[in-house]
Amino acid sequence: MNIKTLEQIIKNKSSKVEFAIVTNLKNGESQVFEPGQKLSGDFDKFQKEVENFFKSKKNGIIENSDIFVETYIRPIKVIIIGAVHIAQYLVDFAKSLNFEISVIDPRGYFATSQRFPDLKIVNKWPDEAFKEIETNENTALIALTHDPKIDDPALQHALNKKFYYIGALGSKKTHGNRCQRLKEAGFTDEQIKSIHGPIGIKLGGKSAPEIALSIIAQLVSETYNK
Amino acid sequence: MRNSFDEKILDEALDWIKTNQKVVLATVIQTWGSSPRQVGSRMIVNENGDFSGSVSGGCVETAVVRECIDLIKKNKVCKKIEFKVSNESAWEVGLACGGEIAVYLEQVN
Repeated sequence: MNIKTLEQIIKNKSSKVEFAIVTNLKNGESQVFEPGQKLSGDFDKFQKEVENFFKSKKNGIIENSDIFVETYIRPIKVIIIGAVHIAQYLVDFAKSLNFEISVIDPRGYFATSQRFPDLKIVNKWPDEAFKEIETNENTALIALTHDPKIDDPALQHALNKKFYYIGALGSKKTHGNRCQRLKEAGFTDEQIKSIHGPIGIKLGGKSAPEIALSIIAQLVSETYNK
Repeated sequence: MRNSFDEKILDEALDWIKTNQKVVLATVIQTWGSSPRQVGSRMIVNENGDFSGSVSGGCVETAVVRECIDLIKKNKVCKKIEFKVSNESAWEVGLACGGEIAVYLEQVN
């Protein structure tokens, strides 16, 4: 691999531009492919195949060739409601798991850069915050405040936008009340049932890092099931 | 998991190069059976045999390092190597899991 190619890969990674590395295994030549871009030189006859690999987010060798394709896709967006203690651990876990985290918390004393050094906290109410964060069926929501004023509008947004994972912290009783409120707000039983509450898989732990671990485990599992 | 934007192995490769080290990228390009790491998994190796990342669960890394040093010494651009199931009675390099992998080595230049 040429050092220029390596530098371009790193640039794309840090600016979160999706791309593929296309390598000729015979001679070691490689090129960075971005969607909508034409491949040059000997690679141009594999344009279609490379695009197909890219679409299906696959890595591998193009059949009957010596061309290896490696795709890099944008991380999954995870929105955390509540810049609480558990969120601090979630941010740490998410770093190595290809999740892109946004934390929303309207309470200024939680949403400080001292508590979340490498992260931009959206210090707004969820309704306002979602105006500046693009979300879709590939987004996940983790609601951690168990304060209906803050969590409920976010949960409603997530249900309306059909997030693939929605989890909400709180005891069975808290979750029961939450479900009741969502029902009164007009959401169907099926929609409400899609919320993971109480959030996380059963690990048995009660400390903040243990709860964060149980949440992230559930999130990874649901990410592979989607 | 999918190739991660956060995976730092290629960033590390560039850091090594900037400090005048020679770097070989070793990438899993094909797998058969129950191989431990998926296609696209990667490790980097320098001329001293220092390495980072992985292409298996620790089964074949030593052999990969040796091949990478050899690639640098002979100043070859690239090479493909395959690893198959190991013979349990021998102390040879192979995959105890019963899988097979092909690893592609390429110098960064």
